[in-house]
Amino acid sequence: MNMAEKHSNPINPALTLVAAVAGWLVPGLGHVLLRKWGKAIVYFCAVVALALVGLLMRGNVFNSNAADAFDTLGFLADIGNGILYFLAGTINPAGANTAIAAGDYGTRLIATAGVLNFLCVLEALQIGFASQQSREEEKRQAGA
Amino acid sequence: MILNHFQTMVIFALAVSLAFAFLSKNSMSERIRYAVWAFLAFLVVAIGIGWLMYPFSH
Repeated sequence: MNMAEKHSNPINPALTLVAAVAGWLVPGLGHVLLRKWGKAIVYFCAVVALALVGLLMRGNVFNSNAADAFDTLGFLADIGNGILYFLAGTINPAGANTAIAAGDYGTRLIATAGVLNFLCVLEALQIGFASQQSREEEKRQAGA
Repeated sequence: MILNHFQTMVIFALAVSLAFAFLSKNSMSERIRYAVWAFLAFLVVAIGIGWLMYPFSH
């Protein structure tokens, strides 16, 4: 993530947190709230494409009742998909089938989509907080 | 939906390289260059590792 990005309009802290939660729930929505339209479209397309292909390939979606550490890690990655995680059963009513190779690939794609969305959420937080820091610096320089 | 390993890898590489380009670069020309580079790197490295493992599959 690039720290040197300049922000013309200061973003208030509440909006930053709302953008982070919105971005987790719907991939790219956080960046829409921060008016980063291009990034929002790319993140939405990337995360939704990965998650949808993964689900349609009958990948496994891990639930919170983890049997071991790998299941826990899988759950933590999958929950990053936000609303797609909760709609997994609706998108693929047949459920997971990891007995075939495609199902196994699908499991990885769903986890990748979740982790990618978490990165996007972190970037949304960074954009908001960097904007606040630059505003405080401007105030300090104006006061000095 | 049934996709083979290569098709799945192409979708993965495309989505991840695009997202990484927008996460790490500011200008559009830098993003395009980075996305193309990362996409090709994903494919070349995966195919290379695949061929390296080929002798052990028999």
